[in-house]
Amino acid sequence: MVGLPYDCLANPLGAVRLTFEKAVASGSDPATLDGKDWGAAELFRQFLFDDDGLSQVPMLNQSTIKWVQPNTLVRFRGMIQDMLGNEYYVGAYKDGNMWRTNKFADTSRSPMDASSDMRIWERRLLYCVPIPGQNSWVESSHEAVRNPYTNSISPQREKRQREDDATMADVDMVEPGHDLEDSPNPKKMREDGMALEPLGLQKIAAEGNLSTLSLVPDAERNSLPCLVKIYDSTESDLKLNDVFEFVGIFTFDPDFTVDRDDNDELADNFCEDTLVCLPPTKVPRLHCVVHRKLAGADFLSGPQLELTPCVIKEVREALLGHLTAVLGNDRVAAQYMLLHLLSRVHARIDSIAVGKLSLNLTCFNKESISVFGNHLKLAMENLLPFTQCLPLTVDYLNTVSLAPKKDYHTNRLESGVLQLAEGTHLTIDETSLQTGTLNSVGCENARVLKNMMDSQKVEYDFTYYKMEMAADVQLLILSEGKSNILPADLVLPLRPSSVDSALGVDGEMLKAWRWYLATMKSLPHSIEPHMQKAVEDDLVAARQADRSLGSQDFSRWLTMGRLMSVSFGETCLSMEHWQMVRELERLRKERLLGNM
Amino acid sequence: MNDLDFKRDKEIAKDFLTNFADPNGEAKYINILQDVANRKTKAIQIELEDLINYKDLDEEFLRRVTENTRRYIGVFANSIDELLPEPTEVLLDDDHDILMTQRAEETTENGGGSDPQKKMPPEIKRFYEVYIKASSKGRPFTIREVKASYIGQLVRISGIVTRCSDVKPLMQVAVYTCEECGFEIYQEVTARIYMPLFDCPSEQCKVNHAKGNLIPQLRASKFLKFQEAKIQELAEHVPKGHIPRTMTVHFRGELTRKVAPGDIVELSGIFLPIPYTGFRAMRAGLIADTYLEAMSVTHFKKRYEEYELRGDEEEQIARLAEDGDIYNKLARSLAPEIFGHEDVKKALLLLLVGAPHRKLKDGMKIRGDIHICLMGDPGVAKSQLLKHIINVAPRGVYTTGKGSSGVGLTAAVQKDPVTNEMVLEGGALVLADMGICAIDEFDKMDESDRTSIHEVMEQQTVSIAKAGITTSLNARTAVLAAANPAWGRYDLRRTPAENINLPPALLSRFDLLWLILDRADMDTDLEMARHVLHVHQAKESPDLGFTPLEPSVLRAYISAARKLSPAVPRELEEYIASAYSSIRQEEAKSNTPHSYTTVRTLLSILRISAALARLRFSEYVAQSDVDEALRLMQMSKFSLYSDDRQRSGLDAISDIYSILRDEAARTNRMDVSYAHALNWISRKGYSEAQLKECLEEYAALNVWQIHPNTFDIRFIDA
Repeated sequence: MVGLPYDCLANPLGAVRLTFEKAVASGSDPATLDGKDWGAAELFRQFLFDDDGLSQVPMLNQSTIKWVQPNTLVRFRGMIQDMLGNEYYVGAYKDGNMWRTNKFADTSRSPMDASSDMRIWERRLLYCVPIPGQNSWVESSHEAVRNPYTNSISPQREKRQREDDATMADVDMVEPGHDLEDSPNPKKMREDGMALEPLGLQKIAAEGNLSTLSLVPDAERNSLPCLVKIYDSTESDLKLNDVFEFVGIFTFDPDFTVDRDDNDELADNFCEDTLVCLPPTKVPRLHCVVHRKLAGADFLSGPQLELTPCVIKEVREALLGHLTAVLGNDRVAAQYMLLHLLSRVHARIDSIAVGKLSLNLTCFNKESISVFGNHLKLAMENLLPFTQCLPLTVDYLNTVSLAPKKDYHTNRLESGVLQLAEGTHLTIDETSLQTGTLNSVGCENARVLKNMMDSQKVEYDFTYYKMEMAADVQLLILSEGKSNILPADLVLPLRPSSVDSALGVDGEMLKAWRWYLATMKSLPHSIEPHMQKAVEDDLVAARQADRSLGSQDFSRWLTMGRLMSVSFGETCLSMEHWQMVRELERLRKERLLGNM
Repeated sequence: MNDLDFKRDKEIAKDFLTNFADPNGEAKYINILQDVANRKTKAIQIELEDLINYKDLDEEFLRRVTENTRRYIGVFANSIDELLPEPTEVLLDDDHDILMTQRAEETTENGGGSDPQKKMPPEIKRFYEVYIKASSKGRPFTIREVKASYIGQLVRISGIVTRCSDVKPLMQVAVYTCEECGFEIYQEVTARIYMPLFDCPSEQCKVNHAKGNLIPQLRASKFLKFQEAKIQELAEHVPKGHIPRTMTVHFRGELTRKVAPGDIVELSGIFLPIPYTGFRAMRAGLIADTYLEAMSVTHFKKRYEEYELRGDEEEQIARLAEDGDIYNKLARSLAPEIFGHEDVKKALLLLLVGAPHRKLKDGMKIRGDIHICLMGDPGVAKSQLLKHIINVAPRGVYTTGKGSSGVGLTAAVQKDPVTNEMVLEGGALVLADMGICAIDEFDKMDESDRTSIHEVMEQQTVSIAKAGITTSLNARTAVLAAANPAWGRYDLRRTPAENINLPPALLSRFDLLWLILDRADMDTDLEMARHVLHVHQAKESPDLGFTPLEPSVLRAYISAARKLSPAVPRELEEYIASAYSSIRQEEAKSNTPHSYTTVRTLLSILRISAALARLRFSEYVAQSDVDEALRLMQMSKFSLYSDDRQRSGLDAISDIYSILRDEAARTNRMDVSYAHALNWISRKGYSEAQLKECLEEYAALNVWQIHPNTFDIRFIDA
């Protein structure tokens, strides 16, 4: 369509207004539009997905915030760290005879007098942070959107802006002097270049860097949290710790920030609203228009590989070879590692998390941990989008807060180390654990870790009660002996035979492996009836032979069977793969016995 | 809405207040008003329920009151002003009254004020507060459900108090005097922040252009007590994957100091926006904060005694009670995902039900709570059973022997970090008063707790004499303990006493002690393999073959059952006594007694029987209850000593025969019903299959006849 009367990218609010007026004109009562979309989201969806506008939308992060214009369309990828509840705002009000809307905006465009007819609507506030443990390759692989405003002198751009200008004059009937905080005012922009708002932002972004962002979970001080405002979506859509991409209108209002400090003397300490501790200087606001949940494959770049069985086998073999090299030529450990990397919780039945496969590699000592530990860490970082490392020491356990905790003074959920996105890989290094006394914090932390191991659940502390939140984290434990604090599903003594110092991997190969891991992980799986019978008999026979086997062992074998066949890209368990699992387990048992 | 309507509504309100009669025919509100006039009470609580029940109910009026509550408080207050009777008692004038008389005199002197600023606002004269309480019918809202559309309306919500501010004075009417003209100037304050007046607005000053200086008069102004609190959603109301929501609540006047952090409360109040002031208001009121203006506070109590049945539940319970098989059905519904263990579950059900407490005339108390200890190999779902029971119980505390904090299981005297005073803090057992305390890892309990738990389990109190605090706390709790055997796994080569890692003094306090062993058995293995496979494949729990009752139904049934206190009829006394003495004798005969049957055992039998009678909703204990109680006790013993028995001489079949023969001889009857026989032999630790085998074998020998359908036994007299 040529000559849209608005620009979704640069003046999204114009589009919102236009659709609102259209809806009102077509006879909808503004009072009934609460919690409903009047066509604006549809319009944006079309622009973003059908017309492929998504790639033009700049990604909001620490580097782009310096030049992103307020009231333009941006996108933000992050994990929902906290939910701040609902915010009430005047959704629609009557300005003279015209209904106007404040949806997707922080401030009203024209003054409202108290007597005018207004409707209070609500929106949800989500506090989002960059995904904890996100590896650098994920970020670089986002299609980098160049600053579209730097080349604003280009004729084409200028033309578009003129168009904007014209349409805005049409659409807006705003009194002059009230459009100061208006969306990119083209005239001003051309005159002062980027002098007006961006300058303020730059300064602010720098400030944000300097001050300690205590709310950001880990040491990534330079990562940018974001306050996302959600409209018209059901509660069940967006859950805590989910990873989403939000496309929405970035708002920033320098006036709004100044008054906060002056206001404090008046405000009762008790009743301060939570937003005070999230000044827009540090936490940008995003009025979300469209959001979508991100899965593993969304973090990968490049063309999708054609995963034919033949290719899968090749990639699998190569990856296995790589893992073998990383683990000092221990192929059994590499096999287990591969299964471990493919595991995820795919069902929760009663209190059991089905599909988890935590791995405990033992027989590390001071020397080997420095070699293999680092290799492993590097390999994980290269293969998986989100990885975290936890060096377990008595001091660490006694001081760190693993589980998130609600702070009632700020009314915020303080993040803990274990507030992780779905599918995060967590390596726990127990080799540096010395003898010592755990205090009550340490005991609690140990319990939280154990609970996470057992049932993939983390207890969030709300002081008056605790709430269990489901987690899906791949846990790898490195220890000298079998870890007693953290009983993993699998305990495997590592038997390295050589140290491969050069582990050069070329980029294409890495990309293929990432693809392989992300895609195989989500494959469905089933067991055919005849296979089921065979497995059943096998299990019973195994238990008759060895009384110490319990339902946990059976469950583990089945999980491994699933992962084994999935690793070959197959969706049905075959006898061959089942036998491979049994054989692997036999080898592991031998090692365990030999180790005693 | 215009003023006219409010005038009409004021008349309706007046009519309601004067004419409403409670079920006893008393004029409820007029009585309250009289109390107010006599300064006995300050709060007037108008219950919407009464308004609904009022004979001349105006539906429209009711709707207006719920949807515009704040305005209607004013309407009611105005009508009360007019209705307020003269005090019937002589009252001493206080400061307030003296001020009021002075003011009244002044007003008459000046012939009434046409000046609105000089007119006394009605608030300053009132010495009462009006609250409108929402109807308590139906389910209260969760904080999440209160949406923008409820603004201005009366809502009822439940939540937990997380923070409370101090109680502060809040100015309601500011009073000034003018330096020039000497008039008293009143200013009504409706928001938290107000702009004090500086220039005298009176006629006199205006005419004279005197710009009289106003001096605020704190003594004359009217203040209200004001407290702010935050409430948070209850854990059970939060959908999966969400964070509990919070809401600010304002308490005024008499409602202050009613809540403390940690309280679970039900509030009714008006959901209101806070108008932003100052600079924020200049942002055109774009965003509004909201709060709840509290109108009434009710504390939640989650006890069986106070459990209120909902309409449909009562019906459901009645239907369940008619079902003969309720005992089994309820037992199976406990932890349905845990396979088997029927008898253990039955015992746990009885623990939930409990027996009535008895207090003898001389002040001695006999506990009714049933204590149970589960002992067993690791990984036999002991902990899951415990947690499930806690979930079903309305008041339950789950703790581990080691895991509880410094306070431990019982109680401790601790130094308060803020005030440096010694404070008494109750442990898990005290917190579980009138409920159930599940203690996992019972064997790993601290030595100090172990001594005091003796007291808790029999006397049901915790006594403390530390740091100058000597007191005794109630701990009327049923203890459900789980313990591991001494060497981690049950060692069949050792005696049970060696395996059980607890002193006999503690063990004897448990009514039932179960050993859950992980035995080698092809069938259970297959069952387990199938279960695991099913879970992995279908991603759901396998079909249980029955639909377990919802925990809420279970809770309702148990709470209904707990209301009864069954008595033991005289004719059963003999039966119980003989059963008890026979156990004692058996023990005396045996050279290796496994247990010490004491008076405690007798009390246990009575307790379990009473609990069984409660389950049947019967006022009397029946013989079948006693039989079942004896069976359970015996089963629990055999779960411990079954291996011994197999070593002892007689083969199972002939042993069963002799049991049945003795039993028939004792009761002097030739007929033994199958159910009876099964009860008897299972008390001795035999299975149904063994009984059937025995029946067939001896029927072939023509010792007895077996009824082909019912399997009842008839001895052929020799």
